[in-house]
Formats: sequence, C-alpha cells, structure tokens
Amino acid sequence: MKAVALLLRLALGGAFIIAGALKFLQPATFAADIGNYRLLPHEAINLLAITLPWIEVVAGVLLALGVWRRASAGVIAVMLMVFLIAIGQALARGLDVRCGCFGTVEARRVSVLALGQDTALLAVAAWLVWREKN
Amino acid sequence: MRRTIQRALLIVLAGGALGLVANAISTRGIPYIAPPKPRLQARDTVPLHEAQELWRSGTTFFLDARSPADYAAGHIANAFSLPVEDFDQQYPRVATLLTPDSSIVVYCDGQQCDLSHRLMVKLSELGYRHVRVLVNGWTVWQTAGLPSRKGEQP
Repeated sequence: MKAVALLLRLALGGAFIIAGALKFLQPATFAADIGNYRLLPHEAINLLAITLPWIEVVAGVLLALGVWRRASAGVIAVMLMVFLIAIGQALARGLDVRCGCFGTVEARRVSVLALGQDTALLAVAAWLVWREKN
Repeated sequence: MRRTIQRALLIVLAGGALGLVANAISTRGIPYIAPPKPRLQARDTVPLHEAQELWRSGTTFFLDARSPADYAAGHIANAFSLPVEDFDQQYPRVATLLTPDSSIVVYCDGQQCDLSHRLMVKLSELGYRHVRVLVNGWTVWQTAGLPSRKGEQP
C-alpha cells in the first residue's frame, strides 16, 4: 500500500505541476478560459488566472516530495472540487468552452470525459488525505 | 486537523504570493484586475431586418464566429465559417474572399455570446471597415425562419 500511495502522490503531484506550469506560461489565455466558464465577475478573473496556477504547482511539488502530504493533498482535492463544479455547470448550461485544464496543450472542450477524469483525480486526492490522517 | 488546515492555507497563500510576484516580473504578465469589457456600441450592430436585406442583396459576407462543429450543425445559408477561437489558422481561407471595403456581418449564438464581437474586433484591427454584429445571430435568424443550412459548406 505504501508503494501505491507513493506512486499516486507522484502521479497526482506531477499532474498538478504540469497543469499549473502550462497555465502560468500563458496567463492571458488561461484568463480567457476562466472567463468563458462565466462563473466569476469579470474583475476577479485575472487575479485567479495569476494565482491559481502557482497554487497548483506549490501543492503539486509538496505532494510529490512528500512534504505536508495531508495538507497538499487536501488543497488539491479542494481545487479538483472547484474544477468539478466549474465543468459541471458549464456542461449543464450547454457552454461549449475550452477546458483549460492543461493550458492550451490540449484544445479539449469541457466534456463528460473531463468530468470523469476530474472525479478520478479527486478520488485519488481524497484517498491520500484519508490515508495521511494517522 | 487544525495543523493541516493551517498548512493548507499556507500552501494557498504561498502559491498566490508566488503568482503575484511571477506576474509582476514576467513579460507575459496581465493586469491584476481585468480592464472592463468593451461594450458593443449600437453602431457596431445590425438589426435583423437590415441583415436580412443585406443577405438578400448578396453583397454582404456573413461570417460565423462559432466553432466548426456548431457551424456544421446549422448556420445562416451562404455564411462562411471563421471560428474566432481558431482565427489565425482559419483566417487565410476566408481572407481571399474579402477586401477592406467588403460589407461583413458576423454572428454567433446567444445574447451573452461574445465570439462575434471578438471576431469583429479582430477584423477591424486587420483593416476591415464595414463589420457589424448580428446579436444572438443564429437564434434570431432561425426564429425568423430565414434560410439556413447544415454541414461544412456555406
């Protein structure tokens, strides 16, 4: 189980490092992607586009390194929940927007697949939070 | 539990602070508060009845700013597809048809849809002088029972 946890920490942490890095490399694009979800007031979009990618990277690095495991997995879990809500409401409203999940590397639109991926990652993060309890 | 929450908050604060610093020194930095969206002026829009006249006269280019998939699912007859999200790739294909003096109507779908507005801005920047937006274009066009088509061809 220890090896599984290590693998999952590396995979989830790595995914967040990559996702965060791809976003902070193109802040204007990420800001536009956030705007397309039509969840936030216009004025708040840039601030989130500036800060969120780095929170992803910091949490991802800590989780991968095994520092503050529970806290870093918890931050990632909360972010994934927020992403789930964003994607879910976009699908429910029939918005055809770019996912923005991994920057522009993938031109993927929000889809049920993205929702499923997000849920799977959330399950991993939640398990890590639970596991590190003791 | 309490310590975990404190650490989690620290992670968020540290990440946020890093982001603010990085944005300040990066050449790709963006304004902390997004400048207000340019509002669509009345003179930038074309009312449906006028759009209909222009369409009948056959002298105006209709450009569909939505995604290729939306275009294929149904579009104003004779309208060309120019998805604004993929402008740089798609523009050359349409550019051969246009001159700076061409009369152009752009549209997307939905009152809130700003794809057509963005397309108008891009075209204006490229020197096209007569570009106007048919607001909520696809919906109002269809609702009025005006000619439309399905598929990838105009």
